[in-house]
Amino acid sequence: MSDALALLALPLAATLCLVGIHAYFGIQVLRRNVIFVDLALAQIAALGATVAFMLGHPALGATTYGYSLGFTLLASLLLAFTRQWSGRIPQEALIGVIYVVAAAAALLLIDRAPQGGEHLKQILTGSILTAGWDEIALIVPLYLAVAFVHWLLRARLLAAAELDWRWEFVFYASFGVVVTSSVALAGVLLVFSFLIIPATIGVLYAERLFQQLVIAWIAGAAASIVGLASSYAWNLPTGAAMVCAFGLSLAAAGVLYPFARGASKTQAARRMLAALRWSATLVMLVSATWLIVAPRVDQPLLDAAELAVPALRSLYLDEREAELYQDASSHAERYRRDAERLNEFEARSRFEGKPLDDHELRRISSFLKSYNEMRRGEEFVMREVRSRARTRARWIVGALAIALALLIAPGFFTKALSALHQKRSQAES
Amino acid sequence: MRAAVLIVWWAALVFTPALAQAPSKLRLVATTTDLASLAEAVGGNRIAVSSLVPPNFDPEEYQSRPRDLELLRDADAVIRVGVDYDLWLDRLLAQAQNPALARGGPGYIDASVAIALLDVRGAAVGPGHPHGSGNPHYWLDPANAEVITGFVLELLARIDQPGAKQYERRRIAFLERLAARQREWEKALAPFQGKPLIAYHNNWAYLARRFRLNVAGIIEMKPGVPPSPAHLAELLRAMHEKDIAIIVRQPHESAKYAEFLASRSGAAVLVLAASVGAVPEARDYIGLFDYSVGALTAAFSRQRAR
Repeated sequence: MSDALALLALPLAATLCLVGIHAYFGIQVLRRNVIFVDLALAQIAALGATVAFMLGHPALGATTYGYSLGFTLLASLLLAFTRQWSGRIPQEALIGVIYVVAAAAALLLIDRAPQGGEHLKQILTGSILTAGWDEIALIVPLYLAVAFVHWLLRARLLAAAELDWRWEFVFYASFGVVVTSSVALAGVLLVFSFLIIPATIGVLYAERLFQQLVIAWIAGAAASIVGLASSYAWNLPTGAAMVCAFGLSLAAAGVLYPFARGASKTQAARRMLAALRWSATLVMLVSATWLIVAPRVDQPLLDAAELAVPALRSLYLDEREAELYQDASSHAERYRRDAERLNEFEARSRFEGKPLDDHELRRISSFLKSYNEMRRGEEFVMREVRSRARTRARWIVGALAIALALLIAPGFFTKALSALHQKRSQAES
Repeated sequence: MRAAVLIVWWAALVFTPALAQAPSKLRLVATTTDLASLAEAVGGNRIAVSSLVPPNFDPEEYQSRPRDLELLRDADAVIRVGVDYDLWLDRLLAQAQNPALARGGPGYIDASVAIALLDVRGAAVGPGHPHGSGNPHYWLDPANAEVITGFVLELLARIDQPGAKQYERRRIAFLERLAARQREWEKALAPFQGKPLIAYHNNWAYLARRFRLNVAGIIEMKPGVPPSPAHLAELLRAMHEKDIAIIVRQPHESAKYAEFLASRSGAAVLVLAASVGAVPEARDYIGLFDYSVGALTAAFSRQRAR
């Protein structure tokens, strides 16, 4: 636990800073309808850095940053001017063009410079996990300054209807400065999530900017904590885990929306329950039909259920099959362990004890291959036993699943029951 | 007299271009700079070697260019690493339609078939490499140069018989030079046998086996997938427990995670050359080891002095 805290504290602090400023910019971006502008600006900044790198400046120096900033400001100017076109052409079209051309131009330049590829990757793929004090000390004053400028100019910047290119330029330029630093820190995917998802949740739940911001901050902070923690707990790459956590937070916000904003809470609850029951019914019906039609191929629902509760398998395997299955399973496990032991022995022999000669190494390799083949053989036996049992049991299991589906379906069961009642009462009368 | 002059003139006109091309060089294409350097060591100036993947590009993610097709179309021979390392060559060869270079053709070398491979897992997936057919970085064991140059010699002697003796002499001389250097490298690294170090990617297995180094951890377990925080925590714990003070990476690999681990543990990050041309000092196959073994020895010595 202390390991996790020591490792995750700084990334979390950096994430909260990023969520803080990006949630605000996200609301602005949603209002202007320029969803992918961060990708275009980040790519332009990377192009600027690449040009500087090609001219012989060090990858992380001040000159390189200057080039990045210069390119970003030029692109901001372009975006600010073309804002007025947006009646005829969606501005997203231009943003897309800026993105692909900047990306392709950078690739062409990189092709001439070995090691440039890694440099370009570093600008665009950042890793939030390695964020340290240096980065935080850089972004906090920068973001505070940007926030202060926006607060001073809030009357101008929030009047989106008024398309004055000078204020648009201030907006895109400051956004470019923020994105250039944040993409290098967290990577394109994560910055896009920081920008759009908390802002969407905020806009979904509130009208006024301040309320939208507070909701966005809370949602963003919660998603960041969940993402970081799950990445540690389940051994997942951090950036990808966090993007998925942000996606889940948006899904949760969508599910809760009718409860929070709808007219009647009980009606919302009833509707949701009905939707859940119908989806469950549908899944059960499709799975049951699938089992009856094609018992030997993958059965996602049944496979998942067996993975969660292995005892389910014994319900439809007979005694001999169960024994065979168990036997194959334990053999497969034994081969895996044997192979692992041999592997470890070979790896140790590289630096300990007597070195293995090529002949011995080849023998070990051929043993390892055989172990793996044998394990695959056992796994084949397991699949085959299960498929046969499923083929045999498909009618009963399928019928049970269909009956269960009908029980779950809203209304169906009660209707059938009342119809039965009516018949009986008719017969009695 | 005039007739004689005329004949000389005529002969000069007709034969000069032919003479200029006379020892028409065999053209050999190698997928990597390492194989190119080894082929050059055997072929010398009788052959013209070009390599497809430039130094410091990841050969496993190489995107081919039009020039590659041209080279392969005109080539007499091709030499590849194999073991799923340069799979893109198959598509290029199919497109180039040069029958000599087809798999199993007279001008095709896949040296991996005669190498004792490490990390063989059969069909299962091993750490660090998506395929279980073995670790493809086998040129990093100088002893494997004998096998690779053996293939080159066999091929060159077959398609250019007049040069066979010369190729053989060159190969023997090169292997002798290499063996002498290898003894020095082994001597330099012998005091550090079993000393643990961390690598960015699982590409030092052959070097480790030959020079008895202990690669105790790998940062990037699956190519292209960043390490998880739990994996980094585990590495940090191991670094602390086993007193690991060296992290090695190649110049084209991400510095971020290596620097991160170094800043948390006080270890030093060492940029090693795994390929000819990866650093300016690694000009050829022997220079590659001179540089990397030298850097490792210096780093281990600093660690001991600390």
